[in-house]
Amino acid sequence: MTCTYRWRRGLASLLAAALMLGGALARAADFQLPALNSPASDEHHPGKMVWADLATPDLAAAEKFYGALFGWTFQHIRAGEVSYAVVLLGGRPIGGIVEKPIPAGQHQQPAWLTFLATNNIDDGKKVAVAHGAKVLRDIKSYPLRGRQCVLSDPEGAVFALLASSSGDTPDYLPATGDWIWSSLHAKDAGTEAAFYQNLLGYDVFDQPSDDGLEHVILSTDNYARASANDLARGSARRHSHWLNFVRVENAAETSAKVAALGGRVLVEPRVDRHGGMVAVLADPAGAPFGVMEWSESDTKAEPK
Amino acid sequence: MKTLRARLMVAAMASLMLGACAVTGVGVEGDVGYVGGYYEPYGYDYGGWGVGYRVGPGRCCDHRDDHGDHGVGRGRPGHAPAYRPAPAGRAAPSIPGRSRAR
Repeated sequence: MTCTYRWRRGLASLLAAALMLGGALARAADFQLPALNSPASDEHHPGKMVWADLATPDLAAAEKFYGALFGWTFQHIRAGEVSYAVVLLGGRPIGGIVEKPIPAGQHQQPAWLTFLATNNIDDGKKVAVAHGAKVLRDIKSYPLRGRQCVLSDPEGAVFALLASSSGDTPDYLPATGDWIWSSLHAKDAGTEAAFYQNLLGYDVFDQPSDDGLEHVILSTDNYARASANDLARGSARRHSHWLNFVRVENAAETSAKVAALGGRVLVEPRVDRHGGMVAVLADPAGAPFGVMEWSESDTKAEPK
Repeated sequence: MKTLRARLMVAAMASLMLGACAVTGVGVEGDVGYVGGYYEPYGYDYGGWGVGYRVGPGRCCDHRDDHGDHGVGRGRPGHAPAYRPAPAGRAAPSIPGRSRAR
């Protein structure tokens, strides 16, 4: 009698386990991030910013804000507990927004996560860790996307590595509304530049400036990919971080629109190195991002 | 004997489930293990840029010596740069200039 009962109990557990396993696999299989390139290409650009993910507590509010600001549209992916929207510009995926609830009583800073392209994510992770990085999310594969992981660099700036299985985005001048630039802001820009140089093979160009701070350009394939900058001195509450810029036609008008949509202006529009305007803004949830004007004539001739 | 067999089957299934969860990421922060989307620490400022704080790329083909757009790393005054500077005399490149065909 006891044996029969135990056998039935074992069988019931087995069935329950099988159901849970099936559900788990189905949910994971549903999470289909789009390929970076369709059709796929063999083009790879290590060190290039190829994707950005926004973590925010209110997906609908973020869509409303960024859709109105940049004309982005969204494709929803829901798998299990994840609500994720792929950001589309002209039908092309350029980023994503993931909804992550913030537990009551906790304070967390919504932010855009910068994805840097790599050819070999296993080696990249090893090199990063050997040079002082920490693994925040270990390498994970996605069927169409490739493999990605989230790291914090030696100063704690969070970034992601992505080894795309469909090639990296081609080297075109980004359209208005697309990502155009990324800047790292760090306590010691030179040491951080060395870290990323070891990781992604950047050429590093010193950029003399009038503010007494260190600014360098990081390039690969003879294209500027990002900058590393000493943290600005204007605030006592500073921490190392990446900042991503969207190309706009008019930074002042975009800044005004951000304020009207419930966001904030963190750095007023100002002339940057190329002669166009940049500004640093925050969405209504507080996630910072930059905007940058760039005219066709700013790159009227190709360097190679 | 039956009891032992049942226990072995349950143990095997439990191991399989744990393995599957590790592969799919289920249970990792309740987000099906999606690797991406990360909150920054709270309470920091992202502004405070002073005069002359410039973070963007230069224009294409700026070889102007007065702007010093070359790879000779200066680093901090009195210190060699931590990075390997690009060769002296090589201009800092700009971003791609070709427009995407529509």
